[in-house]
Amino acid sequence: MSAVASSTTRSVVRFGRTPRITRHLRKNKRTQLPIPQVPILTRQFAPCRFEDHYHTTVADDAMYMTYIHESGPRPQPRPIRLTYDPSDPYTKNRYNPPVGGQQLGKKPPPPSRPDNVVRLEKISLHSMQKDALSSKSNLLGLIMALRAVTGESYKAGGRHTAEGIELVRGKKSVGGWIRPGVPVGAKVDLKGQAMYDFLDTLVEFVLPRLRDFQGVGLPPQSSSVNSTSAVSGVVSFGLPPQAMALFPQIEVNLDAYPKQYGMHIHFVTNATGVGAQNRARALLSGFQIPFLRK
Amino acid sequence: MLSRNVLTSSRRRPHGAVQTFLRSLATEVSSEPSSSALAPPIRTKRAPRAHITAAVILNRGPVVTRTPSLFERAYYAYQARIRRALHNPFPLDFYFKQGSLLETQFSLEEKKRERRAFGPKFAEEDQFVSKEKAAADKAAADQLALQEGESEDLMPRVHEADASRDYKSLDRKGKRNIYLLLQTTEGGKDIWRFPQGGVEKGELLHQAAQRDLHAECGENMDTWIVSRNPIGVYKEAPLDTASPEPKAEKITFFFKGHIIAGQAKPNPKAISDFAWLTKQEIETRVEKLYWEGIKDILSDY
Repeated sequence: MSAVASSTTRSVVRFGRTPRITRHLRKNKRTQLPIPQVPILTRQFAPCRFEDHYHTTVADDAMYMTYIHESGPRPQPRPIRLTYDPSDPYTKNRYNPPVGGQQLGKKPPPPSRPDNVVRLEKISLHSMQKDALSSKSNLLGLIMALRAVTGESYKAGGRHTAEGIELVRGKKSVGGWIRPGVPVGAKVDLKGQAMYDFLDTLVEFVLPRLRDFQGVGLPPQSSSVNSTSAVSGVVSFGLPPQAMALFPQIEVNLDAYPKQYGMHIHFVTNATGVGAQNRARALLSGFQIPFLRK
Repeated sequence: MLSRNVLTSSRRRPHGAVQTFLRSLATEVSSEPSSSALAPPIRTKRAPRAHITAAVILNRGPVVTRTPSLFERAYYAYQARIRRALHNPFPLDFYFKQGSLLETQFSLEEKKRERRAFGPKFAEEDQFVSKEKAAADKAAADQLALQEGESEDLMPRVHEADASRDYKSLDRKGKRNIYLLLQTTEGGKDIWRFPQGGVEKGELLHQAAQRDLHAECGENMDTWIVSRNPIGVYKEAPLDTASPEPKAEKITFFFKGHIIAGQAKPNPKAISDFAWLTKQEIETRVEKLYWEGIKDILSDY
């Protein structure tokens, strides 16, 4: 925003007078505030450095690195077995077995095209606090920390698609551990500008200062390429509780929080098919997240 | 380096799907004149083997954020205003100690931001605060800002190299992608082209590209070739299309590279000049046919 403020060529912040409200607006019963006739959403409100970096540099590089050359359209997939033909005297009175088998890890990636270059769709953070089982007020510190780190709050900016910070409740009953409906953690999904700003903070402030952090571990070379995680295009890792103190939003008043919280981070990309997770890792390494083979 | 490690494992994919296709060049741009296509010369002999060259499009990415356009600025200002109107109240007592200097500074700055968003009449001076108190607050906040060095000017967004038109500086055009172009003499005339060189027997194309780049531009820079796949191909037009004798084709494969550190130091015997140029500047220097072959590879930003 500094560029916006500093350029004095033409003001863009004079909006004129507020229009008079002529139509009757319904009022919120609780707050007595008028309800606007259209949902008001806030979208991107400042230029985003990492998003620009993606479009100027990373997208091109990711396309070149992950490009697989194919000439012409792909052949039709091989039929899994001969189709059942009841007029054929051989199959006529035989059992027609259902087609089975796990197809998940066998799907090839979509053809390399400019519109499906790997890109970041959302970042999902979540954290479980075991002491929330004894008292749910123990979650307040975690919620405040997530709000500070991500800049999101409940229905922030009138948005309903992204719910801001959400409570996670138990689903199952496991003796001595969890009960259904009990709040045990918090999560938040970040998209767009908030997502890139979080990534920016993470790679500029947190990861370089994190002790004994060499990089996000890669699976061994021998691990399966057809597993669900390898073909889903999601890269996940965790941050230890010590990392929370390194976020500048929390560093300023660290002693206001009852304790430090770790979190799981999932980077969800649009990559699908065989090798999707590797393409997602290539994208993230373009954003300077280091990876390390142990 | 890291991303290269990442990708080696991504190349492991099931056999069959791609390998069965016939190979052809990815983005083939033929620069032959269209007249030759109408009347192909009768080939008596087999054409000799094509002469293959590997070239590197060495890139320095943007180092300064783009200046938003007027429309973008207006859009951002409007969205910021809505956001400011709708946001949840800022928990002042959570972040600041009551009555602390930092809190005073923050409230003054916040008042300034609100006025900028909603107009000068929005946050009037508080009537319950005496003028002396307000002046003292302002003085204290200014003192604090001075201590923290907030009044220091930021670096200018336009570098000296832009003002002095220093085409060799890597600091020029900070908001744009710039590319390394070399000037050589070929066939008796000066031409501008990307760093390139031949491919030795048994050598892979991307390795040849890296070697040729260092052979032409010196060892004084740290570079990284992005991909093993060529990102473009350019076929040079034969010099005389009239002669029936088949000529060897000249094919140049382009690879993308990033300069990480250092600067190009070309050999003065072979290379007369070099320049770091944006896409638009490259168009004014290179030959028309060469431009047709490379224009879609270069970035508009």
